[in-house]
Amino acid sequence: MERRIAEILIQELKLENVTPDTFDVNTDLVKELGIDSMDLTTVVLVLQGEYKVKFDEDTYPSLTTVRAIADQIRQLQSTVS
Amino acid sequence: MDLDAKAAAPDKPLAEPAPVTLPEILKRPDIAERFAQVRKYFYLRESTYDMTRRCNLRCDGCYYYEGDKQNTQDNVDPAAWRTLFQAEKARGITFVVLAGAEPALVPELLAACYEEIPLGAIASNGLVRIPASVGYRIHISVWGDDRTSERVRRAKRMLERQIEIYQGDARAIFVYTFTRENIAEAHGVVERLARNGCKVTFNVFSATVGYHGPLRHTPATLAQTRATMLSLLEAYPEEVVFSRYNAAAHTDTLSLHDLYSCPYPRQNRGQFGLGRTFRQYRSDLTWIREAACCVPDTDCADCRHYAAGSAIVTARMNRHIASADQFRAWLDYVDTYLAVWVQGYGKHPNLGTVPISPSLALQTSR
Repeated sequence: MERRIAEILIQELKLENVTPDTFDVNTDLVKELGIDSMDLTTVVLVLQGEYKVKFDEDTYPSLTTVRAIADQIRQLQSTVS
Repeated sequence: MDLDAKAAAPDKPLAEPAPVTLPEILKRPDIAERFAQVRKYFYLRESTYDMTRRCNLRCDGCYYYEGDKQNTQDNVDPAAWRTLFQAEKARGITFVVLAGAEPALVPELLAACYEEIPLGAIASNGLVRIPASVGYRIHISVWGDDRTSERVRRAKRMLERQIEIYQGDARAIFVYTFTRENIAEAHGVVERLARNGCKVTFNVFSATVGYHGPLRHTPATLAQTRATMLSLLEAYPEEVVFSRYNAAAHTDTLSLHDLYSCPYPRQNRGQFGLGRTFRQYRSDLTWIREAACCVPDTDCADCRHYAAGSAIVTARMNRHIASADQFRAWLDYVDTYLAVWVQGYGKHPNLGTVPISPSLALQTSR
C-alpha cells in the first residue's frame, strides 16, 4: 500500500527526483516537501477513490507521511469490514 | 427566468448519476479542464497586513477601527517593510493582502512590498490613486450609491470619484458590499459601473463583534441580497465577477464558519493549512495568533465576508465531491476567487447550471 500511495503522490504532485521505490515513507510531506494543504487534500480525495474509504476532515493534519496515510487507510478499512 | 424563485427552490435532482470520488468526477471534460486551470494556483499562501492607522474616511461599520488593532504605532520605514516581506517570502508566503486603514496613503510602503512579493491585492476606498508601478489587484469598496456613501462614509460623490480614478485600470475591481439598507441601490450602482467598463464583485456586510446596528443582515435581507446578486450576475455577465454558488454561500442564514469551518488561526488552532501559515500583521509589523483572520474583529457567527469566503470555501474542496454539479459549483467559486484576487487571471464562464445549497457541504463534512 505504501508504494501505491507514493506512486499517487508523485503523480498528483508531479514530484521529481523520486520514484515509488525510493520514496521515504517517513518523509514529512508538509515540512520537508512543502506540500500545500490543497495539494494534500487533492491526494486524500484521490486515495478515497482508490481505497473506497472516507477520511475524516479532522484527520487531514495528521496525514503528513506516506506511513501515516497508509496506517489511516488500514484503520478505516478495518472499521468498515 | 425567475431567478428569485430559482434561488429559493430546493436543489433539483441531478441529471447525471452522482459520482462519489474525485477521480470519477474528473472524468468529465469540462470539470477536468477547469480543475487543471485553478489547480495551478494551489500554491498561493496568504497573509494580510495593515499598512497604516490613517484613513481619509471614517465609515460606519469599518472593520479597521473596531477592536484594538488601531492602537499601535505605524512603522513608516520602507526598509523595515522590505525586511518583513523578505522574511515572509522565506516562510512560504506567496500572496499578500494589504489592507487597513487606507493603504493608498502609504504608496512608498506598497512599492517596497510589491518589489518583494508581487502577487497580492490592496483593499482601498479608491479615492486616492495608487501608483501604476504597484501591480497588485486593487479592491475598491462600494457601500451603496452616492447618497448612501455620503451618509455612511461621509464622502461626497464617492462612486463618481472612484470611477474617475480607476476607470480603465486593469488592476481595479469594485467590491459592492450589501448591507441591510442598500440592497435596492445595487442595480443602479452596478449599471453605472458596467456602463463605465468597470468590473464588480460582491461582498456581504458581516457585523463586527458586538455590532447590532442597522447594517446587520436579517434572514429576509439575506434572501433579498441573494436574489439581487443573481439578477445582476445574469444582467451583467461580463462585468460582474461572481457565480451562483458565491451568492448561495454568502447569503445563507448560516455564517461561513458555521457552514464550512473557518481555517484561519482565530478559529483553527491546528498546524495545518492556513492555521499554520496565515498571519495578520498590524501596522507596527507585529501579529497576534489569537486574532489572526482575514477580517479581524468580525463576529464569526455573522461572517459572510468575501475575503473570508475566498479562503474558507476554497479550502473545503473535500466537501464538494458529493456530485459533479456540486464540484462544478466549487470550481466556479474558486475561479471567481482567482479572478477577483489575482492580477491577470481572467474569469471563465461559470460551469454550474443548477442551484447548489451550501448546506450540502455541511452535510458532507460529517
